[in-house]
Amino acid sequence: MNCEKTQEKFADYLTEDLEEGSRGEVQEHILSCAACREDLENLTVVWAKLGVLPEEQPGGGLRHRFYAMLEEYKDGLEAKGKTARPSGRAGRLAGWREWFTFRRPAFAASFSAFLLFVGLGAGWLLNGGRAGGERLTTLSREVQDMRQQVALSLLGKSSATERIQGIGYSAAVENPNDTTLAALTDALDNDPNPNVRLAAVDALYLFRNKPGVRESLVRSLAIQTYPLVQVALIDFLVEVREARAAEALKVLIERNELTPEVKKRAEQGLKQIV
Amino acid sequence: MSPTDNELMENVRDGRVEKLAVLFERYQTMLYNFFLRLTGNRAASEDLVQEVFMRVLKYRAGYMGDSRFNVWLFQIARNAHVDYLRKRKSTLPLDGQYIETHSREPLPEAAYETNREAELVRRALDRLPVQKRELLVLFRFQNLKLREIAELLGCQVGTVKAQVHRALKDLSRIYLDLRKGNVS
Repeated sequence: MNCEKTQEKFADYLTEDLEEGSRGEVQEHILSCAACREDLENLTVVWAKLGVLPEEQPGGGLRHRFYAMLEEYKDGLEAKGKTARPSGRAGRLAGWREWFTFRRPAFAASFSAFLLFVGLGAGWLLNGGRAGGERLTTLSREVQDMRQQVALSLLGKSSATERIQGIGYSAAVENPNDTTLAALTDALDNDPNPNVRLAAVDALYLFRNKPGVRESLVRSLAIQTYPLVQVALIDFLVEVREARAAEALKVLIERNELTPEVKKRAEQGLKQIV
Repeated sequence: MSPTDNELMENVRDGRVEKLAVLFERYQTMLYNFFLRLTGNRAASEDLVQEVFMRVLKYRAGYMGDSRFNVWLFQIARNAHVDYLRKRKSTLPLDGQYIETHSREPLPEAAYETNREAELVRRALDRLPVQKRELLVLFRFQNLKLREIAELLGCQVGTVKAQVHRALKDLSRIYLDLRKGNVS
C-alpha cells in the first residue's frame, strides 16, 4: 500500500473504525515509511489532546427560553386552528352549528346553567313566588355544585385551554369540595402543560386555608422542573409564611439543574420563611 | 423503551410539537458545545441553540425522516452558524477566511489553573480556519461518523477522510508551535 492510500485510512485508524485487515496494512506500511509513521504519531497525539477539552453545560436560562418559545409556538398553533374555518355563508353556518354543540364546553356550561335557572325559576313561581332564605341557600349550593362539576369535566379535557378554563371555574367556587381540591392538586403535579400548572398554583392560593392545600404545595415543589412554576410555588409559600416549606426549599437549592433565577428566589424565600 | 430521535421528530412534524422538549433535552448540551467550540462565546452559543430549535419548528413539515435525525439537526446548526458569521463578518468572504475567536471567554479560574493543556489545545483549535475547525468538532466531539459528515457536507466519504487528515495535520502543527512558544 502506498503513502496516499495509507493516509486515507488515518481518520478511521484514530477512531478505531478500521477493520483488522486494513489496520494491519497501515501498521505494516508505517514500519517501512518514516514520513507516514511520524505523520500518524503526530495525529495520534493531537487526537488525544483534543480529548482533554472539557464539555460545558449551558446556563439554565437556555432551558427557560426554549420552553417559553415552545409554549408560544403551541399557543400560536392552537389559535391558528381555531381561526382556520371556511369563509362565506357556509363557514358562518358551520361556525354557529359548531357553537351549538355539546362538544363546546362553554356552550355545555352555559346551557346547563340556563336549564338550572329556568327550572329553579319555574319552581319559585309555582310556589307562589315565596323564596325563603333556605331556598336561596339551596339555589346557591346547587350553582356551586354545578360549577364544580363543569370544572372537573373541563380538567379532564385534552386541550390545555379547556383545562385552564376548568381551573378558572374551580377558582370561582366559594367552598370547593375535596374532589375539586384533589383535581387542582393533580393538575399542579401532573399536567404536562406548564401554563395549566401555573393556573393551578393561582387557584390553590385562593384555597390556601383549606386543610391539606399547603402540604400539597410543599410536596409539589420537589417534583416541579419548569422554572416559572417553581418560582410561583416559592412565592406562594413565602406569601403564606409556610414554615414547613423551609426543608423543601433547602432540598430545591441543592438541585443541580436549577436555573440561577430560581435558585436566587429560593434562597431569598428561605431567609424570609425561617 | 424510549422513543428514537426519528420517532420524536416525526411526532413534532405531525403536530405534537411538545415532543420537541425531549429532543431539546437530548441535544441542547451537544449543540451548545458545538457552537461554543466554533464561536468561543457562551452567550452567542446559547442564542444559537435557541435559534436551531426555532428553525426545527419552522421547518418541521419538511422533515422526511429518510436520513438520521442528528444529520438533519446539524445541517440546521451549520446554517445557523453560517448566518451568525455573516452577521459578524459581513464584509469578508466565507470561503477560507481565517477567523480567530477573539471573544473567547476564559475558563472559570479553577479549571484554567488545573488545565493549561486544555487551554493550549483550545487556542490551537481557534487558530484553524473555520471550515477545518467545524469539521474536526463534528468528527471529534459530536460523534458523527465519516459517512454522516459526508452526507452533511454533501460530498464523498473519501473527500471527508482527506479533509480530516489535513485538518488534523494543521492542528498538530499549530499545537506544536504554540507549545514551543513560537506563536503568542
